[in-house]
Amino acid sequence: MLALFFLKMNIKETYMKNYKKLLIIPIIIFAISLIIIFQHYSSTGEIVDKDVTLKGGLTITIYSPIDIPDLKAQLKLEFPKGDIIVRRLTEFGSNEQIGLLIEAAEVEEEELKAVLEEKLNLELTKDNYSVEQVGSSLGNAFYKQMRTALILAFIFMAIVILITFRAWIPAFTIVFCAFADMVFVVAIMNLFGMRLSTTGIAALLMLIGYSIDTDIVITTKALKRKEEGNIVDRMTSGVKTGLTMTISTVVALTVGYFVSQSYVIKEMFLIIILGLIFDVIMTYLFNTGVLVWWTRRKAKY
Amino acid sequence: MGKLKLPIRVWILVLFIIFALLAIKPTPYATGVQVKSFDVGGDAALAGLEKGDIVLSLNEQDIFTVTEFMTELAKLQIDEQEIIIKTDKEEYTYNVTKNVGFEVNENLTILSVDTAPMQIKETVESINGIEVSNLSDFKATVIKLLPKKIVKIDTNNGKIAFLTRGMPNIIVGEASKSNLKKGLDLEGGTRVLLKPIAEDQEVTEKDIGDIIQVLSNRLNVYGLTDVRIRSSVDWSGEAFILIEIAGVSKEEVKDLIAQQGKFEAKIGNNTVFVGGKEDIPFVCRDDGSCSGVRNCWDQSGQSYCKFEFVIHISPDAAEKHANVTDKLKIISAEDGRDILSEHIDFYLDDKLVDSLQIGADLKGSKTTAIAISGSGVGQDRNSAIQAAVDNMNKLQTVLITGSLPFDLEIAKLDSISPLLGSHFIKNSLLVGLVALLAVALVIFIRYRSWKVLIPMILTSLSELIIILGFAALIEWNLDMAAIAGIIAAIGTGVDDQIVILDEVISGSKERHINWKKRIKSAFFIIFAAYSTTVAAMIPLWNAGAGLIRGFAITIIVGVTIGVFLTRPAFAAIIERLFKE
Repeated sequence: MLALFFLKMNIKETYMKNYKKLLIIPIIIFAISLIIIFQHYSSTGEIVDKDVTLKGGLTITIYSPIDIPDLKAQLKLEFPKGDIIVRRLTEFGSNEQIGLLIEAAEVEEEELKAVLEEKLNLELTKDNYSVEQVGSSLGNAFYKQMRTALILAFIFMAIVILITFRAWIPAFTIVFCAFADMVFVVAIMNLFGMRLSTTGIAALLMLIGYSIDTDIVITTKALKRKEEGNIVDRMTSGVKTGLTMTISTVVALTVGYFVSQSYVIKEMFLIIILGLIFDVIMTYLFNTGVLVWWTRRKAKY
Repeated sequence: MGKLKLPIRVWILVLFIIFALLAIKPTPYATGVQVKSFDVGGDAALAGLEKGDIVLSLNEQDIFTVTEFMTELAKLQIDEQEIIIKTDKEEYTYNVTKNVGFEVNENLTILSVDTAPMQIKETVESINGIEVSNLSDFKATVIKLLPKKIVKIDTNNGKIAFLTRGMPNIIVGEASKSNLKKGLDLEGGTRVLLKPIAEDQEVTEKDIGDIIQVLSNRLNVYGLTDVRIRSSVDWSGEAFILIEIAGVSKEEVKDLIAQQGKFEAKIGNNTVFVGGKEDIPFVCRDDGSCSGVRNCWDQSGQSYCKFEFVIHISPDAAEKHANVTDKLKIISAEDGRDILSEHIDFYLDDKLVDSLQIGADLKGSKTTAIAISGSGVGQDRNSAIQAAVDNMNKLQTVLITGSLPFDLEIAKLDSISPLLGSHFIKNSLLVGLVALLAVALVIFIRYRSWKVLIPMILTSLSELIIILGFAALIEWNLDMAAIAGIIAAIGTGVDDQIVILDEVISGSKERHINWKKRIKSAFFIIFAAYSTTVAAMIPLWNAGAGLIRGFAITIIVGVTIGVFLTRPAFAAIIERLFKE
């Protein structure tokens, strides 16, 4: 216990000595993320690849244990122009296949269905076959509007935070942290070739909500709790609360991710998990650093 | 007695949980079989069967499961039997089940043919060697051959009985276990998002209202009852109509929905009448004497069937018909009949569906009864008949309900298998359970106290119950977006509880600050977080044709319930437990 106590003291002291230098870590990661996104943008013209829900196309779910290892390649041969992704849906635990998920753009549903029936040797009826079809104009409108929704969400949140804390720099830092989390997730999606869907955008909004919660906790400690001791003690208790919040959320979402069979839920959870892990760096190296620097500078005047 | 003195905030929470449970009305042990749908206007409907009835017994046999019901119902199925019918032209041998497959008039002349092989206008002379000379003879013989059976259904709403030939089309499912309504994602069915195409005009709210009116009318006339239609306008001002129909596949309804349904009858370039009540006050349907599949033929490997039904046109339209036909010349047709020089052409959405000769006797006549015809094509006779029946039903529906003020474009078309839903619900419950256990574990490691853990789990559960109760109360359909929203709301709730715990119980240095102040400072953080969440969700209201609205609403409702009900109660409990 004593060792732990010294370790804690040590972290605190090291942090307080170096907090300005440590600010550089989140900034570097943020900059690299921006570069990745910029590169992706200059080569494809898009900030992030969109899936069929945002660019138009088909999402087909087939409930059958039948699996063909090279189904994707075979479909590719049949539809050389089509953009097709095949995924297996498996049961948690047994890893048995319960179905197939196929995303396809630039392919007619009737044709694809016929080919699938032939390849899988299975009659597709309304009981074993689901299809969701998005027209490309609607997909584009979706994307544009979700983008606007995101920007508006940021503006609204900024206003709320500014009213709450009545200080420019801390409020701006909170919004910046949430923004950086999002940029980081989008960069990771670019790196691993993940595609953004409507669900993904909803997940980004949820991420912002969770990310801001911890920032609000430490900002409140820094700005509104002067009676609770010096800035270091206040920050420590804020960090403890914030970390408990983040860890419980990440742990819950991670087990949920592995247990869930729904691709929609998996995608949503993965985006939030990635974002929250980076949010730990943003909140405790960046936001905390800025707050310590800001309170000390204010105290000097 | 002292233990009963719980703070008022806890009592309020308990009250809300009770209300929520009453709204959800969970009946996990609800057994039996519930009527989901049946033919509108069929024998069962006329006898007074209602949707939602719980079936207790069928034909004196107690029913506990869907399979039992289906087995019992299948007993009413009539075995296929051979029938020999002799007409004035020929002798036919074919198989029948429900009915003889044709209709006759009082002179026993065949008016319409459904599944039977004969042609219309032949006259029936004998059935299975029994001579028939008049209609009552015919009917008596047919009933002997294909007897009607009695069906007795005992439901929780009383007993009904009716006579039917063959298996009545009654669809049942397991009795629902609560008032919660499953969304289309979880239940299976078809979802269509439509966009009116208006070239120069603006689509007004009234137009959208008219479209919705015609569409729901059409779907009802077609026989679909479990239909939800709503409209939404997105930010760019584009109007959308969202239709959700449970339990059908998209093939069944696509034409019915996307078709503008502009029906025109033209002679030459003159429009005589159009679809809708105004010009067509009566459309014959479900009556073999004036509507049905008339004859079939094979041609180059395909089978074709022709349907025909009678409509009555208004006096105005009849007047128009007289004026137009009066100007036409009488010519001789190939078969030597006298006909008029122009055909009458039927157009559906500017596409010619049929073109008929007009008999010379109709020249200048103010006829009000007109036969409309069309056809169906199939690989074999049966599928051609089915296609003709489907086409006829759709055309009749369009003629009755009239056309839409705009052409509609299908922006999104989903057809969801009911299997997806049952899988997803079970899995979601498992995900929720393991996530809660994971949170509990983290909390226990951090605080090492049952006094913290148990109130925390109870609070999260009560939040879930109240959100679901609210959903049941406003008949909100729980779909995947709503489930994601509930997960997010409860996750935020856990975060807030950690804030309360840390503010209230941890940090011995802060002991000098009183309880009220500690709780107040916890709620400062909670309200700030709450306001930002709501601020972030509001822009989603109209984005993406309102399809993501469910997600935003569930989160807002969830966090609001949390902030105003469950968290104050949680804080009160924690205060009570740790104040010593």
